[in-house]
This record gives sequence, structure tokens and C-alpha cells, in this order.
Amino acid sequence: MVETKKHVKFLQRHLLLLPPKAQSQDPNKLGIVYYAIAGLALLDESALSAYTKNKDWIYKHYKEFDPPSNSKRIAGFIGSQLLSLDGQVTINLSNTLFALIILNIIDDCDGRSKNINYEHIRNFVSQCQVPNGQFVSSLDSFTGLPSRVDSTDLRYCYIAVAILYFTGCRTRANFDKHIHVESLLAFVKSQECMNGGYGEYLEAHAGYTSCALSLLKLLGCEAELTESFRWHTITWLLDRQVSNTGCMSLQEDNQNYEQDDHGGFQGRENKFADTCYVFWCLNSLKILSPDNWKSLCEINIAKEFLMDKTQDKLLGGFSKTDVDDPDIYHTYLGLASLGLLDGSLNGELCIPTKYQPR
Amino acid sequence: MMSEFDVSLYSDIEPLPIETGLDNELCQIMYTDEYKQVIGIARRLISNGEFSERALDLTSCVIDLSPAFYTIWNYRFNIVTALMAVSGDIEAFLNKELDWLDEVTLNNPKNYQIWSYRQALLEVHPNASLKRELPVLEMMIDEDTKNYHVWSYRKWCVQKFNDFTNEFQFADSLIEKDIYNNSAWTHRMFVLKNLTSNKNEDNWNEQLKKETIDFEIEYAKQKITLCPQNVSSWNYLRGILDKYFDEDYTINGIDEFAIQYIDNIFEKNESELTETNSTNLPQLKSSYALQFVADGYSRIPDKKNMAIKAYKSLSIKYDPIRRGLWNHMISKLSA
Ligand SMILES: [Zn+2]
Repeated sequence: MVETKKHVKFLQRHLLLLPPKAQSQDPNKLGIVYYAIAGLALLDESALSAYTKNKDWIYKHYKEFDPPSNSKRIAGFIGSQLLSLDGQVTINLSNTLFALIILNIIDDCDGRSKNINYEHIRNFVSQCQVPNGQFVSSLDSFTGLPSRVDSTDLRYCYIAVAILYFTGCRTRANFDKHIHVESLLAFVKSQECMNGGYGEYLEAHAGYTSCALSLLKLLGCEAELTESFRWHTITWLLDRQVSNTGCMSLQEDNQNYEQDDHGGFQGRENKFADTCYVFWCLNSLKILSPDNWKSLCEINIAKEFLMDKTQDKLLGGFSKTDVDDPDIYHTYLGLASLGLLDGSLNGELCIPTKYQPR
Repeated sequence: MMSEFDVSLYSDIEPLPIETGLDNELCQIMYTDEYKQVIGIARRLISNGEFSERALDLTSCVIDLSPAFYTIWNYRFNIVTALMAVSGDIEAFLNKELDWLDEVTLNNPKNYQIWSYRQALLEVHPNASLKRELPVLEMMIDEDTKNYHVWSYRKWCVQKFNDFTNEFQFADSLIEKDIYNNSAWTHRMFVLKNLTSNKNEDNWNEQLKKETIDFEIEYAKQKITLCPQNVSSWNYLRGILDKYFDEDYTINGIDEFAIQYIDNIFEKNESELTETNSTNLPQLKSSYALQFVADGYSRIPDKKNMAIKAYKSLSIKYDPIRRGLWNHMISKLSA
């Protein structure tokens, strides 16, 4: 049973006053708001109306700039007022996506408020692309050029494409107007791993795999995968479901194996199962095999793993594994996994279907 | 090494506090006084565009408090490039910066901003070396042997310096410690793939290439013998066969090697390979061996029936959680 009431309380608590240890999450505070609001949208519609009024506060994170290095005006969101610095380009891709999702849920004008300019947001995304096709998440705050110290990987590639989708891009030609899709696709292809899945330098990782497949889906490019890689990846993803049956129970000497993880998913080979990887793996499988992903893997025991092992029946929320405390990120991804299974969540945008952009 | 915050250095700076207590604010954080003070000064210095020694010190304090604050890393890099230009000795200046970063790294193993910052430093360093990077990499991997970002950084480094000399041995030492360490196994594959790529043609003639690949197959087999139910070593073997032998899993009798782990499952008849009879089937040491043989034989027309038997036994007994996959493979072969 899903402890709906307790999860609602857990999420609501995260939107109130936070203790000092949350300081380390200050730069990406809109992430907390996203997980909590989207989680509430999955659990209990009626709990959302209380947050409609907070949209004005969200809009306070919206910033526009005319960077010296670029003739086009750019716009996006900062993660918290910590980054509100006049004249400094401090917006980043992650917080821009978080804000767009939050606004799609709590602002009934479909995020297309008079307060924000989609064209300028798309200009920001295009400014974040670097020559090898990847994206940085933020710009040099002084010049507005891509930050030289930012990491570039599949996460930011995915976020860039998702923002373009939220701001209206639907066709390859649309996307091509703002970013260089071909070099992005070449980069994504370079992250394919030999036994299936995506990752850096040949170590496949379910999180990166979900980012890569979601962005291909949003671009309408899933068909570009070779049949061989598609099957390697489906097999690799199915193999991430941890089991204590058959020969799988013979791994007692593996320090990262736990019989109790049965049914859960791991992010990489020989790692413990973890709530968030249930989502990353199932979302990937759904994209690769939309018609029979639910019969290819054992969704019922995956559900049992979430319900019986990582759901906190006392405090509400979900934890990473059965020995951790619940946290907001794993709570949302636990709920998102359940939403993916019952059809109430759009996996490639990670937003409740009811609020997905039209 | 870690900068002590000395407020007297900034007495002329009027702090720029974070605006808080806004209407309809969510997730308001109860900031500590230290955070408010340090962040307030930092925000003012960034706004003023001050690139100075004291600004550099202050960014250390901010990074201690908030390592995910991306703007501060960017600011620090701007300060470093400005100061190194006037330092008279760019190399010494950047080495000092790397020393500082080593310490931050050891205190924040999960922060990934550290690694891209490090890459940026090495890109401007006039005399960067792999040797300088190895100790911190070693310490970090020692502490968390599967840390994805650390392994990625190691691979970025050896590729940048095109120095793979220690890498087989390094991967081996980690596999020695924990045969299940997938990062070490995939590192080994990364090294093999790079050494045998066309880029390295000069040093690598065909003979050496062949010997290396053969050695790696033996290496994988030996580790499988030690621990047959290990997905990482089987994936390594498969990776080699997929890449260098066109997915042929029968080359040099390698199928016979795998078959020793699956008893005489092929001699069972259809009626024995059923769910109800599964308790009468022998215990096996490796489902991965079975899967290896099944996948290999499924590509050979006159071994399809053996492949079906292998998938069937995975489905009913040896790896039943994936029965959806095994049954799908059976129906594909039966079609
Ligand atoms: Zn997780």
C-alpha cells in the first residue's frame, strides 16, 4: 500500500522552513521545489491548490540578460536568491527545467506566462552548446560564454533538449533552429557502451542511459538506434533487476550484493539496488520497448521492492535503499516509478502526464 | 591548507545579503551566521568583479560551505587565470592551485564539480603531467572503489596524456582486491580498446594486438574460473568477442569453456525442462555461462535448439526473474 497521506506530509514539510544543513542545496533549491510539487501532483491533486500563490515567488527566479558575448537576449532561471546578482549571468539549465515543470503544474496558463519569454530561454539553451555537441549547464557569469569549469555530459544534453521541448520545439527542424542536433546525436552515439547502455568511457550507467534515451525520444530520433544496440541495451537494462533466485543467490561474497534487494534495480553491474534506478531503468525500457516493457521485466516485484523496502511507512517518503533515511529526491523518483507503471507519469519529461506540455 | 575565514581582510566590503523572507517563499533555509557572512561578502566581490588574492581565499571558504555553488567555481577560475598571468610563474601558481584542489577533493568525494574544475586547470597548465594526478586518483579510488566521477577523470587523464602504460596493471590490482568491481573491469576494456585502436597503430603491430587480445581472453577466463557468477567478468569476455571476433562465441573453443559450468543441460529432453520438473535439475554455478552459450548458439543455425534449451533452463530455474526476456528470445528463435 502506498502511504499517500504520509508522503503528502513528507513532501509538504520540504516546502516549509529547512534546517541549516540544507545550505549545501541552496544553489539548486528549485530542485527541491520540483520534487515536492511534482510528487504532490502524483499523490493528491487537492494538496496542490495551496501552492498556486507561490508562482509569483517562482517567477522571481527568472532572469534576462544581454550577455556581452552574444547579440541575442537570453533568459532562464536561477536556483535560489543566492544567485541573484545584478549583471551576472547566473542562470543554469537544471534550474530552468525545474522551474518550467513547476510552473506547468502550479500555474494554469501552461507555463506560458507573460512573465517569461520562451524565445530568450531557447537562446540560452543554444548558448550552452559547445563545439563537440554537448552542453554546459551554466555560462561564465562575467562574459556569458559557456563556463570553462562546468562538466558537460548526457545529463545536461538531456536537460537542454527537455527545455526546448517545454518551450515549444516538437520537430527536428524546430530543434535544429536552436541547437546543432547532428553534433549532439554524434556525441550521444559516442556514449554507447559495448554491452548496451550509455555511459562515460564504456562504463554503462542507468542514469545516463535514461538521459540519452529520453532525449532521443524528445527529438524523435529513437529510430536511429541500431537494432543490435537496442537489444543489447534492453538486455543490459533487464539485467539490472537484482534477484535472489536461481544462480543469482550465489553472490554472497559480493560486497555490493544483498538478498533483500530482490526486485529492485541497480545503476551499474554489481551494485546495490536503489530506488532511483527503478525509475531510470523502467523509463529506459519503456522508451525502447513501448509495447511490451511491462512483460519483459518483473514489474510486480519491482513494486514490492519500493513498497516494502524503501518506502518509509512511518515518516513517509522513500529512501535510496532499505538502510537509508528517506530523502526528497528518492521520494519523488519512487513515486515517479509507480506513476510510470500506472500511466500517470510522462517518463521522458519526468512530469505527471496531466501537466505535460501540449 | 583550508582557508580560515578572516573577516578583517574584507572590512571595506559591504556585504550583499541574500534576499530572504519574500512573499510566498518556499523552502526557506535557516542560514547559519557564518553562511550569511561569508556568502554576503562573496556576492559583493563577484558583483564588483574583484580578482584578487583575498577573493581567492574567500572562494575557498564558500566552497567549503557550498561545494555545489557553480558560480563560485567559475569565479574562482576567473581569479586564478587573472592572478596567474601576473604571478611571474604560471606553473608554480597552478601547482599551488592543484594542491588546494587535492585537499578539497579528499573532503568532498561525491562532488562532481571538482573534476571538471580540475580538467579546466590542466587545460591551462603549461606543464601538466599524469604523474601529478596519480596520487590523488589513487587515494580517491581507494576510498570509494566504484566512484564513477573519479574513474571518468582517470580515463580522461590517460587519454589526454596518451599514457596507458600503468593502466592494465592498475585495473588488475583493483580486480585483485574485488573481483566484482565493474568500474575496474570496464576500465580494462577502455584500455584495451584504446591500445588496439588505429590511433596507436605506430606502436602496435598486428602481432602484438593479437597477443594482447588473446591474453585478455585468458585473463577473463581465469577470473571467471575463480568466480563464475560474476556479470562483470562475463561482460568483459563478451565485449572482446563482440568487438574483435564479430560476436562469435565459439572461437577457440570458448563455448566449451562456458559449457563446463552448465552441467549437461543440453542432454535434457523437453519434458525435463519444465517448471514442475525444475527442482530435479542440477544446481549450476553460473547463469551467465548459460546465457553466454545461449546467446552464442542463437546465432548459429544448427545450434538453435541448444540455444532454446539454454534459454528455457534460465527461465524455469537458473534466472527466473528475467523469464520475460528468456521467453522472448525463445519465441524469436522458434519463429
Ligand atoms: Zn539513487
